[in-house]
Amino acid sequence: MELDAPNESEKTSQVRIKLTTRDSDVQLLETAPILVSTALRRYALSTLVNNLLESEKPVPFEFLINGQFLRTSIDEFLTANGISAERTLTVEYVRALIPPVHISSYEHDDWVSSVNVLATDSRARILSSSYDGLLRIWNTTNTDLLATSPSARDNGHTAAVKAVKWLTEKKIASSGDDRTIRIWNYVEDEGSAAAITPVLELYGHKMTVGDIAIHTPTSQILSASADGRVGLWSTSKTTAPTAPTSLLPTASSSANKRRKLAKADNKQVSQRGPLSMLDGHTDVVSSTIFKHDDPTVGYSASWDHSVRTWDLTTSRLVDTRTTLHPLLSLTEMPQVSLLATGTTARHITLLDPRASSSKVSALTLRGHANAVSSLAVDPKSQFGLLSGSHDGSCRVWDIRSVRSVASGGGGGDGGQVGESVYVIYREGVEGVKQRAVGGEGVKVFGVDWREGVGIVSAGEDKRVQVNRPEGKQ
Amino acid sequence: MVAINRKRKAVTRDVAEDPIAAPGDEFTGGDLEGVLSQSEDESYHSGSNSEEELEEEEDEVDGEGDDSELEEDLEVSEDDDEDIREQMRNLQTSNPPPSHTNGTNGDLQNGQDFSDNDLDRFEDDSPNYTVTTDANGNTRYIYKEIDPVYDSDDSDAAAGVNTIGDIPLSFYDSYPHIGYDINGKKIMRPAKGAALDSLLDSIEFPKGWTGLTDPATGKPLNLSREELEILKKVTRNELPEEGYDPYPDMIEYFSGKLEVMPLSAAPEPKRRFVPSKHEAKRVMKIVKAIREGRIKPYTPPVEQENEDPELINYDIWADEVPRPDHIMNIPAPKLPPPGYADSYHPPPEYLPDQQEKAAWDSTDPEDRDKEYLPTDFGALRKVPGYDNVKMTFERCLDLYLAPRVRRSKLNIDPESLLPKLPSPDELRPFPTVCANIFRDHQGRVRSVSVDPTGTLVASGADDGYVRVWEMLTGRQLWNKKLSDDEAVDVVTWRPSKDTAIIAAAAGETVYFTIPFGLHTVNPEIEQASREVLDSGFGYQANKPTTETNINKEPTATWSRPSTSLTNDGVLLTASVRSTIKVITWHRRGDYFATVSPKGQSHAVAIHTLSKHLTQLPFRKLKGLAQTAQFHPSKPIFFVATQRNIRSYDLSAQTLLKIMQPGARWISSIDVHPGGDNLIVGSYDRRLLWHDMDLSTKPYKTLRYHQKAIRAVKFHQGGLPLFADASDDGSLQIFHGKVVGDLMENATIVPLKVLRGHVEKGALGVLGLDWHPRHPWCVSAGADGSCRVWC
Repeated sequence: MELDAPNESEKTSQVRIKLTTRDSDVQLLETAPILVSTALRRYALSTLVNNLLESEKPVPFEFLINGQFLRTSIDEFLTANGISAERTLTVEYVRALIPPVHISSYEHDDWVSSVNVLATDSRARILSSSYDGLLRIWNTTNTDLLATSPSARDNGHTAAVKAVKWLTEKKIASSGDDRTIRIWNYVEDEGSAAAITPVLELYGHKMTVGDIAIHTPTSQILSASADGRVGLWSTSKTTAPTAPTSLLPTASSSANKRRKLAKADNKQVSQRGPLSMLDGHTDVVSSTIFKHDDPTVGYSASWDHSVRTWDLTTSRLVDTRTTLHPLLSLTEMPQVSLLATGTTARHITLLDPRASSSKVSALTLRGHANAVSSLAVDPKSQFGLLSGSHDGSCRVWDIRSVRSVASGGGGGDGGQVGESVYVIYREGVEGVKQRAVGGEGVKVFGVDWREGVGIVSAGEDKRVQVNRPEGKQ
Repeated sequence: MVAINRKRKAVTRDVAEDPIAAPGDEFTGGDLEGVLSQSEDESYHSGSNSEEELEEEEDEVDGEGDDSELEEDLEVSEDDDEDIREQMRNLQTSNPPPSHTNGTNGDLQNGQDFSDNDLDRFEDDSPNYTVTTDANGNTRYIYKEIDPVYDSDDSDAAAGVNTIGDIPLSFYDSYPHIGYDINGKKIMRPAKGAALDSLLDSIEFPKGWTGLTDPATGKPLNLSREELEILKKVTRNELPEEGYDPYPDMIEYFSGKLEVMPLSAAPEPKRRFVPSKHEAKRVMKIVKAIREGRIKPYTPPVEQENEDPELINYDIWADEVPRPDHIMNIPAPKLPPPGYADSYHPPPEYLPDQQEKAAWDSTDPEDRDKEYLPTDFGALRKVPGYDNVKMTFERCLDLYLAPRVRRSKLNIDPESLLPKLPSPDELRPFPTVCANIFRDHQGRVRSVSVDPTGTLVASGADDGYVRVWEMLTGRQLWNKKLSDDEAVDVVTWRPSKDTAIIAAAAGETVYFTIPFGLHTVNPEIEQASREVLDSGFGYQANKPTTETNINKEPTATWSRPSTSLTNDGVLLTASVRSTIKVITWHRRGDYFATVSPKGQSHAVAIHTLSKHLTQLPFRKLKGLAQTAQFHPSKPIFFVATQRNIRSYDLSAQTLLKIMQPGARWISSIDVHPGGDNLIVGSYDRRLLWHDMDLSTKPYKTLRYHQKAIRAVKFHQGGLPLFADASDDGSLQIFHGKVVGDLMENATIVPLKVLRGHVEKGALGVLGLDWHPRHPWCVSAGADGSCRVWC
């Protein structure tokens, strides 16, 4: 209101806006429409809202009009979208996402397949898995390599590691092309000495284990394998059943030969089997997660186009949601009760897994140019989403920024379509190659997003890259 | 009354006889007198005779009546006799009437005349003729007109009939008479009323006035109401008689009602209630005739307006050529030549005066009797040219506006002639973009193959390497150099999920490899794969004793390769005599066929993996064998030579069919998973679709490539897709839907051209394979790269 006076002298038109938000902590007390000049831009509007909120410390806001972020003045926005200035405009303000900038990169010897961040109050560690079969732990403060997992000769992974997760601060779970899930102990002294030691080898899958999900309180692991099964595992030696002998490397003559060539005095690591194997998918299971508040419920996404809900206590299939495309990644957005799944058809589909929902696809996020390989949620916003794709980019999405499109076009289900807020390209790669055909050399395989560390992505460029909104630790 | 009646009749008779005498009038000569007297006598006699006869007749007729009356009648008749004779005489000598009239006036005059004549006759007894000399000087007797007596109502003698024939009466307009009667006497024009009278007549229509003139008499034609009524009925095709009911009510003599007093007491005959056979027969006859079309159903006659469509008018002078004058040649009537009025310098009397000019100007151009007002220009050079131009323009306008046949133009939207193909958008999913590039091969990648689990891709290249890649990430997981000097021409996975065996051909050897270390090769699968490869060794060891190949070298040698290869999983080799270009597996994975185009009689070999056995079933192939394939479900084997594709029944060992795609040099074939369709790629840039049930000729020819087609492949996982790879560096994806319904042909829609491979050494894309389930395809390029298309 205070801003009206100076603008009036410039003889600009005015528009009636109604400010709304979905964030409860920045809710305005009075919601009556106010009259503002159409010459205002985001910053002026943000100042206005901060004034109205009477907050001591100004919060930067972004403004959504009809599902689109306001990047120009209101006047230009209205003209570009053909909206009459005489109508009352409903403007949703959201906490601004500050453009993430590149902070640091962590060089690896081989392609980095996945990344996981441990962020506690005292320290932040980045755990990465690589196609050379090694796990690496990095210090985020000084980009030091703290520890590397033992090689295949010393009971390490015998093939590429595909997924890695922190179980606790001192425990790591990883899985890979050697069809195993391995549990590691991580010991870090105050000084420099840090070590990863193998604890357990879990056998049971017949093909690569592409993704694992962990539930720390129950010490359980869900695994997604290319053999079309979802495995449920225990991380403790005592509770885990014995391993199936036919799948142990001792059953393979070629592996035996290799073992003989290796050191004979190697001490054996305990081998265990799965708690249960969930059959149901007809194709490669690409990703799996626990339900955030219920460790007895698991979700899995597969190349057979479906997202399945499992009851883990009874090992029973509860629900199947079939989409139109093979699915590669899965994550849960807890507050909005949606599952986000990345497809090979270059988009992200948001599904409502609850039995009450009738629609298969709640929202489609388009923008990637290749398969969406991994997903992570915004730690600060319930509407934020991060995706990494084989096109060599990570994209930040706000699912409030949506617009409706007619069905058809691009093979989507129609309905609502969102657009990304920010795009993060691989750092240290020439601009031409950033958009290489087929994402050659720049594919992103794993992403993670933690508060305090930022957006962490790993890819074919043999780096783990950290991006963070500028000016924030 | 009877007496008068009778008298009249008698007179009538007499006069009726009269015309017999009358013709004598026309005779000339002396005999006439005698004739006349004779005729008089005869007439007399006949008159009496007739009278007697009449009386007799009357007697007969009135015989039943009173006698007294009859007597009275007789008396009267006797009295009348004298009168009649006198009348007869009068009749013969009466003067001609001045005119023949039907009107009352004439009658009155006649009556007067008669009375005069009667007087005259009684006064002088002179002969009834005068003698004159005619033009030649001969004597001529002019007889007096025989005048019928007043009350002789002669009906036979057509009184006053105009004999002028079919001549317009207007010819006599300038004469006082209007024609001649039968006797050559002038029929005089009837006296016409004065102008006032006609005016009065026109104001006050006399009774029966029609406004018409009797053409025969020239008098006004009056018709009474009854006559008009009759005429009206006649024109309506009704019976003119009054009170005639054409549709009287039917009196039902024979009805179902039981009469108290029936017309006949006889019991009702059977035919009344039994359907008549005869009628049935007749009806059937009619029915048959109607069916055969001999009887046409009644159609109301179409009202013909003015023109009869069947009546064709010919313009016989339409294209008249000048011909020599001949009697049979009727030249076209000539248009009247232009008169003085049409001259540019007409004589002054043709020039219109002011009044005429004004009248001409005031009338509508269409109503003018002349189009052109005579104008005096004085000289031809003064005739304004404009009028000529205008006239020419008007003539052209006439021609232009003249009604002609309206020709409807064939107005077809060219879009509508195109076949109705569904839009590619509706046929998703199909590969559209390059998702991955595998680059590590040195030299051309010859062949690619997707493994049965759908996660790995094997490729073989000119550098002798076989490499295995992760399909989606593009990571190279495994590689092995099979041969130092030979290119790997073909790589295929054994089609079974239970084993992981790559069959790769380099030179004349097929290498069977278990790629250890791959995530799919778990201990169980490794064991199963080993068993498959090794099971034949024992069989081969047993066999040679019975059927030794002493005289000829073996068709193929199966052996364990060197340890360097064995350690990396190459556990078996099979060598034939010449370079293998194609390996094709039977769906069960036990049999596979190799094709070595230069092998002549050894070109196509079918191998049994479990027995390490090689057979050469096609010793005499016509032409160079190019490729071969097993039928997806039946024991049928397809062998493609340069021009033809032959299908053989393997169990019956017979030739089933020879397909002729019409291509000059077939490069590759693929059989649809349904088994009834076949696609053929040829080096002459054609992709041909064969429906094997339909014909030996291709159902569809697709020529979209600029260069030779190297590979064709159907999607084997249930999607209606097929693709071809060409030397122009592009792949083309097609939708090819085969419906189970035999009546419906396959739908083929071009979907997408996938470009990306670089042409190298005039070679583009050499190999092609589909993912077993998803719409992803992998291509092998001569540029050393493989591409995954999603």
